[in-house]
Amino acid sequence: MRGLIENRFGLLALVLVAVAALYGVAYVSRPAPVAHAELKPVRAAVESVTTVCPAPSGAKVSVVTPPGATGPGTAALTPLTPDADKNDSKNAGKGGDKSDGKGDGKGGDKSDGKQGEAGSASPAPLDTVSGPGLLWQRRLPVGGGPLTVAATGSMAPGLETAQTTREESGAQRGLAGVRCVEPGADAWFVGPGPAAAEVALYVANADRAPADVSIMIYSGEGPVLSERGNSLILKPGESRVVNLREMAPSPLVMALEVSTGTGRVAAAVRAAFGKGRGVDWLPISTPPATRVVVPGIPGTAGLRELYVAAPGEQDTVVQVKAVLKDGSYALKNKESVEVPAGSTASLDLSTGIGGQPAALVLTADVPIVAGLKVTGTGTSQDVAFTAGAPSIDLGSVVADGRITKKQVSRLVLSAPFEPATVQVRLLPMRGTAPQPVEVRLPAGRTRELKLTPPPGGEAGFGVVVQPEPGSGPVYGGRALDESASDGQMITMQPLEMARTWALVPPTTDAPSAVLPQWRSS
Amino acid sequence: MHSVTAIVVAHDGARWLQETLTAVLRQTRPLDRVVGVDNGSRDGSGRLLAQAFGEHNVLSLSRSAGFGEAVHEVLRRLPAAQEQQAQEWVWLLHDDCAPDAGALQALLWAADQDPKAAILGPKLCDWLDRRVLLEIGVTVSRSGRRDTGLEPREYDQGQHDEIHDVLSVSTAGMLIRRDVWDELSGLDPDLPLFRDDLDLCWRARVAGHRVLNVTDAVAWHAEASSRRRRRISTRDEHPRRLDRRNALFVIMANLPFWALVRSVVRNVSGSLVRTLLFLLAKQPANALDEVAALGSVLGHPGRLRRARKARRNGRKQGYPAVARLLTPPGAALRRLTDMVQGFLAGGAPVDSAGRHHAVAADSSDDDDGDELLTDSRVFQRVLGSPGVLLTFALVAVALLAERRLLTGDLLGGGLLVPVTGSASDLWRFYLEGHHAAGLGSDTWAPPYVAVLAGLSALFLGKTWLAVGVLLLGCVPLAGLSAYAATKRIIPYTPARIWLAATYALLPVATGAVAGGRIGTALLLVLLPVYAGLATRVVAGSRRAAWGLGLLLAVGAAFVPLVYVLVAVLGALAAVSFAGVRKGAGLSLAIGLGTPLLLLLPWLAEVVREPGRMLMEAGLRDVTLADPRLGPESLLLLSPGGPGVPPVWTVAGLIAVALTALLLRRRRMHVVVGWGVMLFGVLVAIVVSRLTAGSMPAWPGVPLAFAATGLLLAAAHPAHRLARLRAAGGVRRIGALLIVVAAFATPLASAGFWIVSGADGPLERGARDPMPVLATLGTREGEGTLLLRPRDGEVAYTLLRGRAPLIGESDLVPAADARGRFGAAVAGLASGRGGPYTQTLASMGVRFVSVPGKIGPELRRALDSNPEMARMSLSDSGGLWRVTVPVTVPPPSTGADSTHRIWLWAQGALLVLVLVLASPGARTAEPEEDYGESSPDGTPRGRRRAREDRVPA
Repeated sequence: MRGLIENRFGLLALVLVAVAALYGVAYVSRPAPVAHAELKPVRAAVESVTTVCPAPSGAKVSVVTPPGATGPGTAALTPLTPDADKNDSKNAGKGGDKSDGKGDGKGGDKSDGKQGEAGSASPAPLDTVSGPGLLWQRRLPVGGGPLTVAATGSMAPGLETAQTTREESGAQRGLAGVRCVEPGADAWFVGPGPAAAEVALYVANADRAPADVSIMIYSGEGPVLSERGNSLILKPGESRVVNLREMAPSPLVMALEVSTGTGRVAAAVRAAFGKGRGVDWLPISTPPATRVVVPGIPGTAGLRELYVAAPGEQDTVVQVKAVLKDGSYALKNKESVEVPAGSTASLDLSTGIGGQPAALVLTADVPIVAGLKVTGTGTSQDVAFTAGAPSIDLGSVVADGRITKKQVSRLVLSAPFEPATVQVRLLPMRGTAPQPVEVRLPAGRTRELKLTPPPGGEAGFGVVVQPEPGSGPVYGGRALDESASDGQMITMQPLEMARTWALVPPTTDAPSAVLPQWRSS
Repeated sequence: MHSVTAIVVAHDGARWLQETLTAVLRQTRPLDRVVGVDNGSRDGSGRLLAQAFGEHNVLSLSRSAGFGEAVHEVLRRLPAAQEQQAQEWVWLLHDDCAPDAGALQALLWAADQDPKAAILGPKLCDWLDRRVLLEIGVTVSRSGRRDTGLEPREYDQGQHDEIHDVLSVSTAGMLIRRDVWDELSGLDPDLPLFRDDLDLCWRARVAGHRVLNVTDAVAWHAEASSRRRRRISTRDEHPRRLDRRNALFVIMANLPFWALVRSVVRNVSGSLVRTLLFLLAKQPANALDEVAALGSVLGHPGRLRRARKARRNGRKQGYPAVARLLTPPGAALRRLTDMVQGFLAGGAPVDSAGRHHAVAADSSDDDDGDELLTDSRVFQRVLGSPGVLLTFALVAVALLAERRLLTGDLLGGGLLVPVTGSASDLWRFYLEGHHAAGLGSDTWAPPYVAVLAGLSALFLGKTWLAVGVLLLGCVPLAGLSAYAATKRIIPYTPARIWLAATYALLPVATGAVAGGRIGTALLLVLLPVYAGLATRVVAGSRRAAWGLGLLLAVGAAFVPLVYVLVAVLGALAAVSFAGVRKGAGLSLAIGLGTPLLLLLPWLAEVVREPGRMLMEAGLRDVTLADPRLGPESLLLLSPGGPGVPPVWTVAGLIAVALTALLLRRRRMHVVVGWGVMLFGVLVAIVVSRLTAGSMPAWPGVPLAFAATGLLLAAAHPAHRLARLRAAGGVRRIGALLIVVAAFATPLASAGFWIVSGADGPLERGARDPMPVLATLGTREGEGTLLLRPRDGEVAYTLLRGRAPLIGESDLVPAADARGRFGAAVAGLASGRGGPYTQTLASMGVRFVSVPGKIGPELRRALDSNPEMARMSLSDSGGLWRVTVPVTVPPPSTGADSTHRIWLWAQGALLVLVLVLASPGARTAEPEEDYGESSPDGTPRGRRRAREDRVPA
């Protein structure tokens, strides 16, 4: 050993051995690469939902919550009125703060609760619905403004509300239905412009904070810049109807964005083409995306007109693909549509998908929004609209389904990308709901189901569509048509994701949230 | 006609006595009578006296007899001179005081000139260096300070030569008229040593006699007692305390009443000030003596009254004659300025030109030539210093690499929270018992906050500046520190330059900058200092041990792991050195124990949660460390993470260090260096394989440790390269290769750093996490919930009206509040409605801010919440305001008394350690004393004298 140390190379050898040993230790102890476990959000039942029916006057309002949730819960239907006491509304913003500024925590909580009650209790509720699983439906008297449906507890998960009007004659002849809207900060509509129809925008503020609403119109010629300014402020509880012709008289087709700078707004758009030419509400479209699915086109006869808008600053060519009963393909001569930047284009698809249940898959390299007009047949026409919709991964609910001698409810389901299986369940007004029906959807196909009323659901029923786990994305829509003597009356609504479940994202308490995440490039 | 009796008092002074006796007997003016007194000497002094003076002329007294006592005893027994008309003189001589042959003659001549002269003294010069003046008469200030009127080490060039009228002369060589002696009752036996001469002369002055110093008479004095060359047997007390006590006593006994009152006041306050100064100068023994002396005088009023009674006659009348000769009052101020100047120049903080042994103490080891250079060419010298040039070069490299980090908004990113707030904010954060930040917490603030607060205070309260200099300047600072700290270890300057540059540009350094790791940055600067101090600690230096303890506490506050590393090496060092070098074990214990004391409660928390041992100050971020760091990275000192150059840049350093192993001679340093390296790498491997929670640890500090060892191993034998180069041929090429390989490492690192830029996650212009709208709308106590979606999860934190301070991320809120808050945030982010907003509002959340681009789900969730109103939304973030009333958590009233007590204790400990560690007098390092042999045969005596100086 001594010789080894005293040798010139002995020490070097010792050190090299030690270094090699360290290398070995480091090599062996190196952990195997662990796949980064993707954190999955957790599904949780929604606990409260508020929707606003924009113009329920004379309409049949349907309220339904799918069964499943237990415990107490109510849904209160209250006419939306501007806060009677102006001071009260201000107090919500300022006075309340003052009271809690005094420092009494408990007192603050209590006064807060009282205020909440006072705010919603000032107008008497029209009705209170309790008990999920059954449809509540009532025709409201003519007159009055928007209606708020606020559900809590077991009535909240999946609450779906809709209003449907039916006029047999006059300028408003036709079936016109719309999902009651959840207030939000942003809503997109695509459809005919004020030059083609009388287009009215219904905006309502159901919150206790004022909303600053701005309106943007993308016409066929580009964005419409109004000299008068296109923003308005809605006080708490205030609702307004804006005739878009005053704002932009010329567009034949348009995309409309209603957004708020502060606060939230419930927006809906109603288009009336005039006597004998139909009327309906425009459904809210998905916000601009590079791939839009326009689902729920029923297999009825009549015209089909596609509207596509590219609200960005880049021209684009939108590829159109139809998903039909027998497969999914591009339509001959209608493979694509050019959309200039910031404008809306339309494309007649009557010869391509007319008479067939269908969904359209639109792809573009810039975000687009899209909608579709369906025109009924007959001497007096009626129109109906569908629009880009999200896939119903967490299920969907339709509030208003009805089957009578003349009226037919159709459920159009598409699985444009991967095969899917969905459970369809009908919720009657009385009695118990029947067992769900399983529907298989092959990849790239569309199926149309004509609904049959369940026992106790002769006057109307709700529909719950629930994809099975493992299914691909499912899109759909419900069409309601009535064969009147002077022509077909029709209304449609794309299936929206039910407000049943919310995805609770995983959260971590991390002081490092003050910094943006750094990624090595 | 004179009759002179010489009295030589000896006490263990054989070393000097022979020479003294010879000198006495060889006087040109022969002595009439000689008497020797032996105060119980044990070294044969009595025998020497007997040989010189004859048995009958030697008186033997007990060992405890003082000088005055001995003289009294002699004169009591000695009959008066035979001739009646003769003026009888007594010449007092110490055993260590050799008079010049003509001394007595000169004294008597002077006595003849002035009939009033009753006491005369010679010019006293140093025993060893005989040209150095010790005394030409002594006076005293009103505070009892002895004043010779000479510069320290003043050479005698005849500049003071004349007959001085002085206040007092030393008893060494004092010639006193016997009648005056009898009239004054001689030396006061209560003052057996020190200041007895002053007292006697004062009384003589008061009685109307004159005291003269005759410079024509010369005596050489060894001042053996006050320099502690011999033990004092008369009193057990330390000579310093005795001296001080006697000084006070003499002053107080001789001053008239009103002057006495003033003097008491002055002396009490003066003594306290001096005590404080001594404490600051880390001379606690001196301070104790100062207080003890004052206490001893004031504590015995009876003795003082007796003494004053004995001196009552003519005290007041004679005082003007004395006052004229006392040190003028302005001298104290002048002395203070001198002292401050001296301290700044590195001298002793409490220096005194008037003390007995000014000569011995001030053997300055400065080159005289240096002083000449400093005045005119400071600038050139500074600029010419390799260390300064190196620092400039590193600053240039750092500026180039950090070009994007120098100007702009807030500095933040990586582990560094965007730096906001000032020093006072940090202080408040450190001192407060309850933290309102976040959800509120009663956790004690981590101690590094105090360090940063102190640093910020140095930078005029600007935390951003302090952090910026520390973090962005860590490369040049580390270089400078490495250069300075290796001065003792590596004498070869080019090797030091290379070592410092390589050390400063280690992958750890660039990685620390990029990752915002302020703890590692600080440690990079501190590690060389640790190494430098450790070499002195193992040699037993106590002061270095306190310094190491303090700096180790600072480092461990940021990176607790460093304490473990140092402690392991310290334990090894203790095993190897404690037996060899005296005091090394205790010094090591001080160095390693101080951090434990200073950081006690916090360390206990860290130990309870061992994962924190691996973390460092700042935020936690998973992406900044690589849990799968390759073995080659670890062995090549690359810690992984952002800002690290390719692993091979350090290859040159490793190669050179391996080459150093081939040396045959003086391999100790190389072996120790490699040992540290292997140890550091082993720790780095362990650390990099561990995780704290899910957080991988970054092995930066152990690798820096390893690198320090490696650099020492490589740089220490570098001076042999010159010899290799001189050898020519293959060896010369080998030397060239080694130099190229060595310098490749720092150059490559600098190049990569400059090209890629220093900014990783660290960036200038980090946004203030508090949106402006929220800051404006937030009232006292209200909070802003910050949500940041990343990797499929939502990270959140609660800000109370302002961006978080450094260190606030370490606070731990109460578990139940934390759980409730987390659930509410999850509910809020899900958008499922429910009472979550209410819960958040009840915890004081007024705003919800989502910086950056917001995904549609989260935006929908927040937008659809009826209890919140959106205030703004864009690609740079969104802000929502809670519209329901917000409950502000009540400010905590209960103060944590334990915390307060601890803060006081910590403060006191810190002051104590600072006092013990801060550099005082420029003392010689103990290791330099090895093998020192004193020319005068008093080994270690000089050093002792230097440390235990007597302030007089």
